[in-house]
Amino acid sequence: MCSCGESRRGWGPYAPSPVLFLSLFVSAAPFGLLGEETRQVSLEVPGWPDHPQNLLHIRAVGPNSTLHYVWSSLGPPAVVLVATNTPHSVLSINWTRLLSPEPDGGLAVLPKDSIQFSSALVFTRLLEFDSAASGAAAEPPGKPYPPYSLAEFWWNNITDSLQPATLSATFWGHPARDPAGTFANGSLAFRVQAFDRAGRAAQPPRLLHTADTCQLELVLAGASPRGNRSLFGIEVATLGQGPGCPVIQERHSIDDEYAPAVFQLDQLLWGSPPSGFVQWRPVVFSQEQADRDSALSCQASPLHPTLAHSLPPTLAHSLPQSPVVQAFFGPQQNYCTFSLTFGASTGPGYWDQHYLSWSVLLGLGPPPVDALSPLILGIMAVALGAPGLLLLGVGVALLLHRTHPSEYRSIT
Amino acid sequence: MEEEGEEARALLAGGPDEARSGAPAASQVLSALCDPSRLAHRLLVLMLMCFLGFGSYFCYDNPAALQTQIQRDMQVNTTKFMLLYAWYSWPNVVLCFLGGFLIDRVFGIRWGTIIFICFVCIGQVIFALGGIFNAFWLMELGRFVFGIGGESLAVAQNTYAVSWFKGKELNLVFGLQLSMARIGSTVNMNLMGWLYSKIEASLGSAGPTTLGATLLIGGITCILSLICALALAYLDQRAEKILHKEQGKTGEVIKLTDIKDFSLPLWLIFIICVGYYVVVFPFIGLGKIFFIEKFGFSSQAASAINSVVYIISAPMSPVFGLLVDKTGKNIIWVLCAVTTTLVSHMMLAFTMWNPWIAMCLLGLSYSLLACALWPMVAFLVPEHQLGTAYGFMQSIQNLGLAIISIIAGMILDTRGYLFLEVFFIACVSVALLSVVLLYLVNHAQGGSLNYSTRQREEMMVSHTE
Repeated sequence: MCSCGESRRGWGPYAPSPVLFLSLFVSAAPFGLLGEETRQVSLEVPGWPDHPQNLLHIRAVGPNSTLHYVWSSLGPPAVVLVATNTPHSVLSINWTRLLSPEPDGGLAVLPKDSIQFSSALVFTRLLEFDSAASGAAAEPPGKPYPPYSLAEFWWNNITDSLQPATLSATFWGHPARDPAGTFANGSLAFRVQAFDRAGRAAQPPRLLHTADTCQLELVLAGASPRGNRSLFGIEVATLGQGPGCPVIQERHSIDDEYAPAVFQLDQLLWGSPPSGFVQWRPVVFSQEQADRDSALSCQASPLHPTLAHSLPPTLAHSLPQSPVVQAFFGPQQNYCTFSLTFGASTGPGYWDQHYLSWSVLLGLGPPPVDALSPLILGIMAVALGAPGLLLLGVGVALLLHRTHPSEYRSIT
Repeated sequence: MEEEGEEARALLAGGPDEARSGAPAASQVLSALCDPSRLAHRLLVLMLMCFLGFGSYFCYDNPAALQTQIQRDMQVNTTKFMLLYAWYSWPNVVLCFLGGFLIDRVFGIRWGTIIFICFVCIGQVIFALGGIFNAFWLMELGRFVFGIGGESLAVAQNTYAVSWFKGKELNLVFGLQLSMARIGSTVNMNLMGWLYSKIEASLGSAGPTTLGATLLIGGITCILSLICALALAYLDQRAEKILHKEQGKTGEVIKLTDIKDFSLPLWLIFIICVGYYVVVFPFIGLGKIFFIEKFGFSSQAASAINSVVYIISAPMSPVFGLLVDKTGKNIIWVLCAVTTTLVSHMMLAFTMWNPWIAMCLLGLSYSLLACALWPMVAFLVPEHQLGTAYGFMQSIQNLGLAIISIIAGMILDTRGYLFLEVFFIACVSVALLSVVLLYLVNHAQGGSLNYSTRQREEMMVSHTE
């Protein structure tokens, strides 16, 4: 928790170079590349009298930069990410404006000219599909049930779940009106965690995080599915860049050490680095004990432009608007949405344990790149080195020995 | 041959009319088939012998062919899944020593074969019932019972082959039996997934019952093998009466006290054997999901590539056998095989190259190793200790397979395929280290392991002189 990191490693165009396969033979290489950068991270819950506390401000100060993550459950859960090039930038909130129907300008990071990059994510709807109906009647993942709009959820007071020691906080929510009682014993939770240094979580998918990132774990627990084989999904909206939408890259890797049997890493990049990214492994877990038994697949749809909120709400694709996003970016924004579907129609699923957890990393700057672990490199060095050296020794000895005539014939 | 045929025909007096000379051509064919001394009859016996092992080899790799389905339907992790292979290996740690003894002294070859194959059938049925009753422990028990019969059956099969074909077409017969075993494994890998989906379609849902039904149908191959065993027993008894042929014996004499006389090169060969085979069989047992997840193969394609080691080994084993016979230099061949395997596992672990390349290399090196490694034991051990040496080699191979299967499953569950591959690479590298040491020790002791065939012949001549 100090700002003593190397100055050149602050926010800026200095990407840790990707560690190539060749580093296998240079086992010392990865040690130096990770984990040096630290930030002073503070979690703050700005409040307004007589209003639920539903704003979480994560401020990560580095030697040359400050990152701001503003999480909010005002409206649908959303996060605004802002990167600034000064260690002194601050968040300014105009509560009366933020809570008004026209929140534009209610949220700002000052000084404004220090902002290098900003974007936002809004979690708009919880989707549910009847996977038993997929195939004949409907395309996979199946026939959709009416989605739960997360803007119409009731959310907890964020202060109650704030854990300064782990730099984490959790938004719990359930539908404000739940006539069918599907969420009678259930909740949807957004567990947000910030980091002051690089590292890895103890539980799969064990995404590599840095001090520039923030991890969100989305947990759906206890809610009654509306069908026997219900698949759940989440719809996510983000700000479009210009006319088009960012794309989701699927990166294949040889390394599944941290998420067994998952060889893919999906990431959404806002423009060219250094900007920001969303990164996740296409895997969700159907038990609290996240391991390979409980791993389910996770499919992401491509991003597509979505109509703005100003259209009549009866329109199927109208997005619930997040006040914080509108307050920071203003009303005229292009949104792009994509959806993630958790699990498949066959095999284990949410229906077994009524539990789903999906982890995703949000960050500013270049996305972290996984390297082979020191243990693997160490084993490979010994496994190849020992017989290699011995073979070399034998080869040299044989060459020297060849100078003497063979004594074999003299025996006979 | 002709005279033998005449003699046998005389002995067959009282048999059916077709035996008499002057009968129509069809009857002559039939008589040749019924005449134990004729080639046609031996071919019939050969066919029965080949199918004798088909069922057990088909069912041995049932778990690998249905890995996804087993783990999903029985809700077990990979560690528990690999126990299915471990339970097969445990009884064979002991039975490798006992199989020959049981055949020679207790049951005799005929009853021995029938009893072993009954174990295989019952084991497979219990295995399938474990699925139907959704009880994984029952499946494990099934694999244990199956294991009791499986390896000993292979001993019985070889004994039959020696008894019928010694001095005739014995090497060809061994080759064909091995090929048939590999065909059994291959057919299993490519058939069981399809069969499962068919049964799933007819039952309407996937689940333990579907799994059990699939395994039960797979067990039909074991019944086929049982019928072959019964037929063989009948023909063997008949041949004994007609030709006064002795009942086949393994001739194995196992003396555990011989183990203390084993030399350092022999121990190194054992290490190579364990270090090598544990990276082939457990890998194939776990390979299907690896090809699906890492390389994006379909289930069918993953089954096909997972069986390519067996497909290659069927035709290549005789070819490499000939090659090693003609050239000698066994240690160099073993070194080639182990190095190739190391390269192939490194390709699987660290590249996204088409895995067909790596798997074909693995298939070739596996066939080469089998041809070069096992005969070396015969150069090192006096003939009266051969039974003990081979029994011990198989025994620790099974011990290694059982332990490594469990460890491999645990590694996969906690650290993934890359780490598993690195673990396998470490195992091969132990084997590689042992090969190099074997070369050195053999060189230093002036051993005969790495002689070329010409040198061996010269040695033989000098000894006889």
